[in-house]
Amino acid sequence: MTTQTAAPPTRTPYRPPAPLGGRTPLRRSNRYRLTVIAFLLPAIVILTVFVAWPMIAALRLSFTDASGFGDEEWVGLQNYADVFTDSGVVTAMGNTAVYALLFTPLVVVLALALALLLNNRLLPGRGIFRTFLFLPFIVSLAVAAFAWSYLLDPQIGLLNYWLQGFGIQLGNVLQDPVLAMPTVVLVAVWKSFGFYMVIFLAGLQDIPGSLYEAARVDGASAWQRFRSITLPMLSNSLGFVLIVALIAALQAFDQIYVMTGGGPYGSTQTIVMEIYESGFRKLELGFASALSYVLLLITLVLSLVQFLFFSRGEKDAS
Amino acid sequence: MMKRAIMAVAAASATAVALAGCTAPADDNSEGPATLTFWHGYTEADGEVLDQIVADFNDSQDDYVIETETKTWAVIDDTLLPALSSDEGPDIVAMPAERMPVYADRGAFVDLTDFYASEDSNTSELAEQSVDMVTVDGAPYGVPTGFVPLSVFYNKALFTAAGIDEFPTTWDEWVDAAKALTIDANSDGTPEQYGLALPDHATVANGLWPSLLLSGGGEIVEGSTEAVIDSSENAESLAYWVDAVTKDKISPTGLDGIGADELFSSGKAAMHVGGPWMSFISADNDIDYGIAAIPAGPEEQAASAIGVSMGITEQASDAQVAGAEAFFSYFFQEDVATEWSLASGWPPLRTDIPLESVESNPVVVSLTEIAPTGRALLPGVVNSVDVLAAIDTLTQKAVAGGDIDELLAAAQSEIQQAIE
Repeated sequence: MTTQTAAPPTRTPYRPPAPLGGRTPLRRSNRYRLTVIAFLLPAIVILTVFVAWPMIAALRLSFTDASGFGDEEWVGLQNYADVFTDSGVVTAMGNTAVYALLFTPLVVVLALALALLLNNRLLPGRGIFRTFLFLPFIVSLAVAAFAWSYLLDPQIGLLNYWLQGFGIQLGNVLQDPVLAMPTVVLVAVWKSFGFYMVIFLAGLQDIPGSLYEAARVDGASAWQRFRSITLPMLSNSLGFVLIVALIAALQAFDQIYVMTGGGPYGSTQTIVMEIYESGFRKLELGFASALSYVLLLITLVLSLVQFLFFSRGEKDAS
Repeated sequence: MMKRAIMAVAAASATAVALAGCTAPADDNSEGPATLTFWHGYTEADGEVLDQIVADFNDSQDDYVIETETKTWAVIDDTLLPALSSDEGPDIVAMPAERMPVYADRGAFVDLTDFYASEDSNTSELAEQSVDMVTVDGAPYGVPTGFVPLSVFYNKALFTAAGIDEFPTTWDEWVDAAKALTIDANSDGTPEQYGLALPDHATVANGLWPSLLLSGGGEIVEGSTEAVIDSSENAESLAYWVDAVTKDKISPTGLDGIGADELFSSGKAAMHVGGPWMSFISADNDIDYGIAAIPAGPEEQAASAIGVSMGITEQASDAQVAGAEAFFSYFFQEDVATEWSLASGWPPLRTDIPLESVESNPVVVSLTEIAPTGRALLPGVVNSVDVLAAIDTLTQKAVAGGDIDELLAAAQSEIQQAIE
């Protein structure tokens, strides 16, 4: 008699239940990717058409003697060489450096000081002050420049008229080769400090009040609290503001174009004005493109240096 | 879901393409009349007259239709380059004559040599210097729509108050009159009324100081290739006028052309050097004005001429070029040229139009009488931007107290570099 043993029952390997709707993880992943692409695509298309493509086109132009119409010839690095030997460009670079060195620290210090003041809860009417101080930033730069040109006009300007009442002769500051640059810088600072102030205010409100309370308990003075708590905790905002202000300074154009037109005799001519003159007045698009790329590189390097400096500061603070 | 994603992608792409303005340029309608676009900067009453002349031309024939677009001169200069680069520009464009050579040199305009050679063009009687302004390397690239020497507009009421009956005819008389008209009532060193608004930079069409240098016997460039500004004649002329402005205070320093317009129109300056549009500005400000030629300098009586020209852009098709040339011929017909002169206030472009034909407009009569003093400013100089900038620097620094000999030497070098 033989005995037969039954074969062991075969077991179906475990499979997790299918997701609702019968889709597999693979399908779900594809769907997620497509959604991401669909959302990103408009931005990618717009950036490609309006940013990347013009930049590439300008890079190509910078190696040619293009004027915008007619034939163009490949001139290699000639335009880049001309940028550094052209006396007008060298002057404009110097003027831009002066503008940036005056504008950036002034606007940052003023914005920070006002932000600290307006962050004080004991100050009555803080909201109104914040609104009024932010107002100049809303006004169009060209309109503000026109208004200030008229205010400063030695013949018909209200500012001159008022100051004459106090026995002060302001003179024609916009046509004075020494005073023209500081004047346009002051107007630019007046126009834009509100924007930077708001960024600082946001940064200040992120600092926990407990830090200040602890410092007070430890007997820290106001200056010590500012130096040891406020400044380190604001390093992100400060870094951002400095970089943005510096870039704005390097790109100064419309306000100076309206107020002085680069004068008197080129003392307020900036790099961007030089780009405009070369491209649109002299129809030297190749040269203007090369100058644009030089400005881009300068801006990039300075921004990178600032970024690295503040990144290190942030690490130290943490 | 996939279908939706594809739809979204397609919609985004379509939007981007539309935003990029990738529209095909309008083609000529091969069946109907050729359509031309004409940009001009005549924004006042002169613009209405020009538009009417264009409308009359359209009605006079069936082959071409010109559509005008009025912009300011500055907008035309700022937008012409990008418009032509994208083949979306005008077929005919009017612009200040001194800007035309740089565009022509870069290949933006059609060479009109054959047009000028044609008897039907009606160009044979045009003022020679007005054509010089649009000539580059011997070829004309445009036709003039206006040509007039700078002239002095003066406030008759202020002249009467100062007891001056006749307008001065020489530099010395001019400065004497300006001194008599300069009033510093409170003796604070800043006159409340200036005899003359003499801007030291950004003057009207940058032609004021070249006028003075010409009258003093000096030149700026010779033959459009050689800078000759560093001369003893120019040094003397500069010193003469710098003294008048800084020592006699007949004009504020640091003044630009727009500021000079404002001084005159506000009644704070008795004299101002300008163009025909000052008659409209004076009338708008209730100023009883007179017009006179810039007084004679030690060498001659001369004034830089302001010009406006129109050209045919290279993007125009053959039919459109033919249409533009037909319009130019129409524009220079004697009756149309007279109508344009009377309405615009500019002297007739044709030298054969008699003074009697324009006597109904006293401004045109005055300007026509002084027209012989006109000299084309930097004719044929392609890079006039840098040349005029060098002159601006020279005059501004001279009035600010710079050494004239050193400034002239610097200007000589800059101008030579610019025109080579």
